[in-house]
Amino acid sequence: MVDLKMLAEAVIRGDAKECARLTQEGLDNGLSPQVLLNDGLMAGMAVIGERFKCNDIYVPEVLIAARAMKAGMVILRPKLAETGAKPVGKVVAGTVKGDLHDIGKNIVCMMLEGAGFQVTDLGNDVAPERFIQAIKEQEAQIVGMSALLTTTMLNMKGTIEALKAAGLREKVRVMVGGAPVTQRFAEEIGADGYAENAAVAVEKAKELLAVH
Amino acid sequence: MMMTHRERILAVLNHKEPDRLPLDLGSAIATTMTAKAHERMRAYLGLPSEPPPATFSRRSSTVIPDEAILRRFDVDARPLILGNPDGRPDREVSPDAFVDEWGVTWARPEGGHFISTDGPFYHQDEPTREDLEKFPWPDPADPGRYRGLRERAKELHEKTDYAVMLNLGVGPVHQCQFVRGYGEWLEDLLINRAFAEGLMDRVVEIWVEITDRALEEAGDSVDLVMYGDDVGTQKGLLLRPELYRQVIKPRHKRMADCVKRHGKPILYHSCGSVYALVPDLIEVGIDALNPIQVTAAEMDTRRLKREFGRDLIFWGGINTQRVLPLGTPEEVREEVMRRIEDLAEGGGYVLCAVHNIQPEVPPENVVTMYEAAQEYGR
Ligand code: B1M
Repeated sequence: MVDLKMLAEAVIRGDAKECARLTQEGLDNGLSPQVLLNDGLMAGMAVIGERFKCNDIYVPEVLIAARAMKAGMVILRPKLAETGAKPVGKVVAGTVKGDLHDIGKNIVCMMLEGAGFQVTDLGNDVAPERFIQAIKEQEAQIVGMSALLTTTMLNMKGTIEALKAAGLREKVRVMVGGAPVTQRFAEEIGADGYAENAAVAVEKAKELLAVH
Repeated sequence: MMMTHRERILAVLNHKEPDRLPLDLGSAIATTMTAKAHERMRAYLGLPSEPPPATFSRRSSTVIPDEAILRRFDVDARPLILGNPDGRPDREVSPDAFVDEWGVTWARPEGGHFISTDGPFYHQDEPTREDLEKFPWPDPADPGRYRGLRERAKELHEKTDYAVMLNLGVGPVHQCQFVRGYGEWLEDLLINRAFAEGLMDRVVEIWVEITDRALEEAGDSVDLVMYGDDVGTQKGLLLRPELYRQVIKPRHKRMADCVKRHGKPILYHSCGSVYALVPDLIEVGIDALNPIQVTAAEMDTRRLKREFGRDLIFWGGINTQRVLPLGTPEEVREEVMRRIEDLAEGGGYVLCAVHNIQPEVPPENVVTMYEAAQEYGR
């Protein structure tokens, strides 16, 4: 068990090399990839999410933790595929059309990944058609939209309308966030969930899919 | 006693009560209007749509507002902007992308704003100080930057009574993010500190030399100097305050010291929630803070004035995340009254929107903002 704790701590410290080493060591010692993921990498990211939420750590610490987690994931991913492990849920995410701010969205994607979701990150300036195409391809259960500008946040509404027109609205849950976005705005445009930060985004995503 | 526009700004910078609240629009890179907002404003005021306005910043799609608009709002300051380098002008890649003198690619979505999408150190896993040695840096001495600067400054200073604001380049936080990648540089601060600091030093050296040269050229006609470096986000600081103090603050101090050697007041811009750093910024030597992003965490204007009003001038403050784009004219009035009440006592406040006026803001709200400021700012 000690190894898993060390692995989680390597994620929290943002030590990518150590993360990769401990992940490999765990596999070599016969630990299952699922356990290494859940009790090592994901456990570490959960701590990071909580600390970030209460301003105990800041963007740089989150970014290096995510980098460390990814170093472990690279090793685990093929093993997880072999065992046929299923992700907690499938998310398609992006910053909406006309908007290029991507730090917040990236962090949300990293946290979701760190909580076991399969995330398809479409980047920034994402037009409704691209969301739609990716939702179909990935059979996503959640579509996540980020907007940092009052100019572009209305494009969230446009995307929701496009989802309706494409007959997808009943098939996916819509989650939104970003600096100017509020719970009220989310309700007004008919989104299913709003998250004010990345840790809450993880909770929301689980809530929307009723997983715990 | 009636003051001239310049006197009014200078009074505020000296913590003295002006004859009326000074107003800004378009004197600084983050207090102006996007081209679309400007076009809408001209139409709304019944002004001719020609000639096309001068570009303020290509990257931000902003313009220098039409004099007719500025006079109508009785704006107190005007911008002075450096020229483009002769040696390395922007290299056009497509109608929607160009490469600047730092080797940074700027691209925009159709009709949108540019953003840095690639830079000289983007793709290196662990760049080193040697990589910095090899890099062909922009030339601070490039004459294109200063051509006509003295004449433009003198003209503004002698032929008008507006305060002249010299706009300088961004500080090391932003410039490093542009050449290295926004997230990558933040990671470097923790895991590749030698490179991150080396890069900052180069950026600051270049910045200081450009500033020295610009102020030697035009200093006599410059009333204040403006530059920005974003260290805030909606919810709090971008980075740990201790990290700011250790790594960024000494460099910000070098920049401020340079401006102070020329005896000019500093207007410093950082978006987002920067409450926790205000004492540091004052220590660094800034005189005025922009934009006072009132919707970000901890940016309560009353508390800011109470705690820092003796040492700091507030420049901005009108809510652009809700009231200006989405509010009614009545709400705009209330917002203006509130900020004046919170910030203007004893001087110390220059009113403008929290950031450049964005395309979706109804011109009516902007007009209401300036009219209310004239009415309540007596
Ligand atoms: C799917 O579900 C979810 C759930 C939760 C979600 C979510 C999705 N998405 C986010 N969340 C939430 O979780 C995240 C993590 O906890 C959080 O994400 P955030 O993104 O909020 O937080 C990040 C971790 C850190 N935060 C950030 O990175 C944003 C910080 C600020 C300072 C900011 C930055 C850095 C930038 N900017 Co811009 N910028 C500002 C920002 C100030 C602010 N108050 O936010 C803001 C957003 N910018 C603004 C502006 C005006 C602009 N910017 C522009 C450009 C830039 C930079 C390129 C310089 C840079 C972006 C770099 C990048 N690659 O992202 C321009 C537009 C470019 C474009 N087309 O998009 C430009 C238009 C400037 C101009 N040219 O005039 C302002 C918008 C005002 C408005 N009316 O809406 C602004 C609020 C600053 C201000 N003082 O007014 C939560 O919101």
